[in-house]
Amino acid sequence: MSVIVTEQLTKRYGRRMGIEGLNLSVPEGMLFGFLGPNGSGKTTTIRVLVGLLRPSEGGARVFGLDCWRASHRVKTDVGYLPGDLRLYPWLTCRVALQIFGRVRGRDLTKTGGELAAEFGLEPDLNVRRMSRGMRQKLGLILALAHRPRLLILDEPTASLDPLMQDKLYQHLRDLASAGHTVFFSSHTLSEVEQLCDRAAILREGKLVADETLEALRARARRVVTMRWLETAKLDEITVPAFLDVYERRDRQWYASLAGPVMELVRWSAGQPIEDLSIGQPDLTRLFQQYYELEPGM
Amino acid sequence: MTRGLIAKTIHEVWLATLLFALAMAGLEALLAYILPKFNEALSGRWLQLDFIQGMFKGLLGTEVGSTIDPGVIASIAWVHPVVLALVWAQGIAFCTRMPAGEVDHGTIDVLFGLPISRTRVYALESVVWLVSGLVLVAIGLLGNLIGGWLSGPQAPLAPGQLIIVVINLYCLYVAVGSVAYLVSSLSDRRGRAVGIVFGIVLASFLLNSLAQFWGPAKSIAFLSLQNYYRPLLILRETAWPVKDMLVLIAVSAILWTAGAMIFARRDICTV
Repeated sequence: MSVIVTEQLTKRYGRRMGIEGLNLSVPEGMLFGFLGPNGSGKTTTIRVLVGLLRPSEGGARVFGLDCWRASHRVKTDVGYLPGDLRLYPWLTCRVALQIFGRVRGRDLTKTGGELAAEFGLEPDLNVRRMSRGMRQKLGLILALAHRPRLLILDEPTASLDPLMQDKLYQHLRDLASAGHTVFFSSHTLSEVEQLCDRAAILREGKLVADETLEALRARARRVVTMRWLETAKLDEITVPAFLDVYERRDRQWYASLAGPVMELVRWSAGQPIEDLSIGQPDLTRLFQQYYELEPGM
Repeated sequence: MTRGLIAKTIHEVWLATLLFALAMAGLEALLAYILPKFNEALSGRWLQLDFIQGMFKGLLGTEVGSTIDPGVIASIAWVHPVVLALVWAQGIAFCTRMPAGEVDHGTIDVLFGLPISRTRVYALESVVWLVSGLVLVAIGLLGNLIGGWLSGPQAPLAPGQLIIVVINLYCLYVAVGSVAYLVSSLSDRRGRAVGIVFGIVLASFLLNSLAQFWGPAKSIAFLSLQNYYRPLLILRETAWPVKDMLVLIAVSAILWTAGAMIFARRDICTV
């Protein structure tokens, strides 16, 4: 079952296009990464999903409910962390959990208190006195405390320290393994790579990829580093078609491998190579290619 | 759900409302205490001057006559520009908090991350606003009664008469607040919303004052909210200004509903 479905979702801001013809389907229990450079339409999509923006064309559904018309019902089981989080200056974690608990009609003080302890957030410190990272923690606690079926997080690790990021990743993995769905946007590729089951890539408001990380990895090229022997005549070396050399630093060459590893091994056996290393599939380069491609290509 | 939202709103407004109410009570007490002491001086010399007559007419919205009666004295306490400024300021400050203030500060994203409809938030905010307005004018009335009592036996007006004035003032407060809700629903910036509403209210006040002296202004005076708040007539005739109050309530209902409909349909952009 798909928790999030968008069909030809389009949002325009006057003449400016926010997103165009977006078709997404996010299955239940998945860690779904939503990638794209700044201004690509990630936040616009998320704001449509939580009912803050009205689609210009097409539609978006969460749990089968229309995100605009039934926005308040949708959010009963959604935890949302905005990208540019702003909280009421007078709010403390304890007061926030009481108020949000009343609005949600359930007691959040226990689960929220546990999260606050885990994230190291003082329950009685008010937002006015919090650092940016602490505010982000409070935002996460408020999004997570009611253990929603769907978590929508807009760049959640912004302003979190690496230790806290790891805690959050672990938390999100635990939630996903318990059947909850996590939809989060990021422009940090490594984050998506180490966390997500699947990723969609957005560029200039259009979807340019939507695949499992496994499929993306299979398509991603490996980085090959070759160091030639001192005696090698570099200008006489003929590089095979499956190797795309993108950098030459004296005797050290960097290339991406477009074919099977065995072909490279066979070819390199007859070459004056001093050292050869074959890296993991390079998703970063793949993502960058998507970012740079013209939409629709 | 309702309790949570009301708790949030009260948490944000109680201090400002209390300060406005105390200021209102203090000012009303002061005016009710001081004004009767100027009664004779005003009736004797000052009222002979055209300028003073005109000033009273502009302020009270009707002819004062040749003598200052207790009704005029009591009316001044309820149309004094500082009193009106306090009432407007509280109403404008409250009603531009949401949506314009919440959008401006970006907190609306967190608010609408919760399972609540926009209409519900708008309605609950409005309930707290209406109650805060009641508190404001009721404490103002209390201040006025205390000031009158301290000033001695020369204030023969019954509290019942003043209550009608206060209810009429409350209707004016609701109308100003409804203008503020409509402008707030259309705006992403609180400062801009406050400026626009204050401009509208000030223009309304000036139009009503001008209409007392200037023919062309008189023909469009019905557009002024202030035109439907005339304490001196209430105190002299001791009758309920039903028509004036109905106009204010009708205007409020239309503007408030328009604000609710716009807010329910608009995009919320905080960037």
